[in-house]
Parts: sequence; structure tokens; C-alpha cells
Amino acid sequence: MKKKPVKPKISRVAPYSSAHKKYLQKQRNDKIFVLIMQIMLLVLAIGLWELLAVTNVVDPFFVSSPSRIFKMFVSLVASGTIWKHVGITLLETIIGFLIATFGGTLIAILLWWNQKLRRILEPYIVVLNSLPKIALGPIIILWFGSGMSAIVVMCILITIVLTTISMLNAFNSCDADKIQLLKSMHANKFQIFWKLILPNATDEFISVLKINVGMSWVGTIMGEYLSSSAGLGFLIVYGSQIFKIDLVMTSTVLLCLLAALMYMAVCLIEKIHSR
Amino acid sequence: MSKLLSFKDVNFFYQTKAEEIQALKDLSFDIDYQEFASIVGPSGCGKTTILSLIAGLLEKSSGEILLDGKPIQKNDSRIGYMFQRDQLFEWRTIWQNVTLSIEISKPKNADQKKELAKELLKKYDLYDFISSKPRALSGGMRQRVALIRTLVMEPSLLLLDEPFSALDFQTRLNVCDDVYGIIKNEKKTAILVTHDISEALSMSNKVIVLSSRPASVKHVQILNLNGETPLSRREAPNFGELFDLIWKTLTNEKETC
Repeated sequence: MKKKPVKPKISRVAPYSSAHKKYLQKQRNDKIFVLIMQIMLLVLAIGLWELLAVTNVVDPFFVSSPSRIFKMFVSLVASGTIWKHVGITLLETIIGFLIATFGGTLIAILLWWNQKLRRILEPYIVVLNSLPKIALGPIIILWFGSGMSAIVVMCILITIVLTTISMLNAFNSCDADKIQLLKSMHANKFQIFWKLILPNATDEFISVLKINVGMSWVGTIMGEYLSSSAGLGFLIVYGSQIFKIDLVMTSTVLLCLLAALMYMAVCLIEKIHSR
Repeated sequence: MSKLLSFKDVNFFYQTKAEEIQALKDLSFDIDYQEFASIVGPSGCGKTTILSLIAGLLEKSSGEILLDGKPIQKNDSRIGYMFQRDQLFEWRTIWQNVTLSIEISKPKNADQKKELAKELLKKYDLYDFISSKPRALSGGMRQRVALIRTLVMEPSLLLLDEPFSALDFQTRLNVCDDVYGIIKNEKKTAILVTHDISEALSMSNKVIVLSSRPASVKHVQILNLNGETPLSRREAPNFGELFDLIWKTLTNEKETC
């Protein structure tokens, strides 16, 4: 086909009548209301926390306060140390996230391709999934040392099994009639996988990405708790050991922000995909 | 008319953990060139199995299946299969859906087949939608796309496995007319598997009634209904009479099973 396909003109949503205009206005108002309430909830929580701490209703030594967290953050930025810790944790998380997501998907592809292998490995995967990965902490440190590699391995272990199970389920749940359709076109196994199984599992892959964002942060922080000399997890452990709750809270808030940013990046991928 | 497809004493057994099930027993029938034949039978009697055997998706246990007088081959490109529901791939555009079989089989005359796809899309009012995703199309349009996807490889024999079963009654009547019109225009031979007697009567020249499992041919009814389209054939004077005949043959079958 040489000519570029003609795209049908689809009109944008525009009000058709006064009732429709009202409906659209209500939708917009609802959206704005939800956003305002979300912001207000945050402001209220921060305000209440600050008020309770300032009036000594709660002891700032144990619960810190927003202003103390802000001061701590400013001092960490001024000393320049915070970026090193943020950078290390972020690097460990991204490496773990990428290896676990793509590694887990690759394993799922292998198991879909060879159903006998899947049946052989199934009980081991189930056991590995149920196992609390923190139990493997000492072994990981023994095998991989106490540096970044041990933390990344912990992150991968926590994320990879779930990725494999979810992606394998997605591959196996493909409509049997669609597979038959491709077989009736004389498609080989690779073509069935490439043209149908893989694109059919894209939505599930996006869900896995979203879950893995959370899981990889859990893995990294857990790894840093076990053994680290830098990173936000290290700061949290260090802060709690020297009773510096402001440091613990600042690191936790930073973790929240970073996790939210990573989640938003995945949402952006989803948005681009669904266009 | 000469025979395009022949089933001669075909037997087929399914293997399950518990037992061996005979799905087809000494099944014999012929389909002529440019004939539109329907296969009706009790639920689960093996109608789809017959189509799967023709398409090479299953292998017969014994007997002969001949296409153009020669034993049917596993990857025979002369056969096009249209499944229950349209089975369009939602992530692909209409053009990508229609040319899917070209992408897969990579024929030498791929450009020619793409031209044919373009012509068919234009002829059946779908060309404006080639860049759209299937979700933008109505049920009837989706079925037309599915049929064009099958026709692109220029099969001699079309297998239609209850292709209208997912549609509501009114859409179904219109789509029947559309699909019938396309098949007749393109001078194709077709086998329709359906559980709907009136659909079978309105679309075919021949109705093959099967027995319950293991399926064998119980009755073959040659039809000569007046009317250009399936919808108009439903109004033919002897439509009701033929319906009763097929219905009684099927009901007797159900009573005996």
C-alpha cells in the first residue's frame, strides 16, 4: 500500500445542547472538587500535625513536625549529602525495577513457550513467591557482599517472581479462538507470540509496571535496612539509631515523592500506549 | 456443478483423560463449487470439529477429506476460516487487521493481495476506517472486516463458524445479508455452521443435518427458495415448511439421544 491511509474525522467532544453543556460542566466541576479536596486533605493533615507538635500535644522528639522536616531537608541540601543518598537509592531501585520487570517477563515468555518446563517449575515458582524474601537477607549478603549488588538482588527477588506469575497468566489467558484464527492462517509459534500473545498482554504489562514500582522500592529499602552505607533506607535506619526522628521523617517523605514520581512516569507510558 | 470438497467416511476421535470420545462417525458429504452449504445439528455434535478438520487444525482419525479431488493438506491456503465473533485484534488498525494473513504467510504476490484488500474495503464501505481501531466500528462493520480479512488470501472455500452468534437479532439479519452478498459477489464456496435453522435456510443452497455425537449425516436438504437476499428468502412461501422439516429432523434426533 503506497498511499497513506485516510484517518476518519472524529469530532471532539463539544456541547450539543444546554443539557449536554450542563452535563459537561458538572463533570468538570466534579473533577475540580476532587482535586481541591485532595489538596485540602494534605494541607489539613500537615497543618494539624504542625499544630499538635507546636502546642506540644504530641512530642516532636518522637513524631517530628512538618517545619522540622523542612528545616532538616534544607540543612541536608545545604550540606549536599542528600543528593548522594537520593541518587544511590534511586539508582538501586531503577536497576532492580528494570532487571526484575524485563527478566520476569523473559522468564514468563520462556515458560509460555515451553509448557512442559512451566509444569516442571510451577511448584518452585509458587514456593518462591510465598517465601518472605527478607529471610534470604543473610544469604544474599553472604553471596553478594554488603554493597549495592546485595540491595539490587533483594529488590529483584521481591519483584521478579510476581512479574513472572502475572505475565505468564496474561500470556496463558489469551483467547483460544484468536490463537486458532492465527493457526488457520498457518502462523508459526513465533508469529502467534509476536502478533497476538505479546500485544494482547500489554495492559497486564502496564499493571505489572505499576505494581513493580511499589515492589522495587520495598525491595531496595529492605536491602538498605539489611546492609548499606548510603541511601535513603540507610538514613532512616541511621536516624532511628541516633533518635533523630526528623531525619527519619525527611527520608520517608523523600521516598514518598520519588515513588510517586516513578509511578507517574509509568502512568505516562500507559497514556502514550492507550493513544 | 463439480465437487470442491468431499468427506468420505470420516471418523474422528477425541482423546480425554477419562475416555476416548468419537466425535464423527463415517461422515460423508459433498460440497460443490460456489455452493453455500449450511451444517446444522444438536449442540456439541461436532459441527466445529468438521470445520477444524477442513482447516487442518485437527487431523482426522480415518476416512478421506478431498479438496478439488486431492487429499486436503495441513497448511492449505485455499481455505479461509471465519470464527465465532469477529476476533479482530483491538490493538491493530482495520488495515492491519485485514492484512494480518498477508503479514503471516508473506505470499509472493503480497502487493497484489494488499490491492485486493484495499478494493474490498472500498467496495464494502470500510475504506474510510482503515486507520481506526476496531472499537470505532459497529458490530456489523466488524463482521464485514472479519470477512474481508478472510477473503484477502483469495480462498476457494470459506468456513463460517457461527459468525453471527454474538450479534443481536436485528443486526444479525442485516449482517447475514451483507456477508451473503459479499460471498456471492466474490463467487466463493462457503460452509456455514449454525444452530439457527432459519439462518441456514435463508443463506444456503443446501442444508446438511447432523445426528447427535458421534455425528453422521442424517439428512441433506437441497434448497430452492425464491429471493435474492437471505432476508427476502425468509419470506418465501415454502420457508416455513422447510423450517418444520429440518426442525422435526433435529427434534427427533434430540429425542433419540
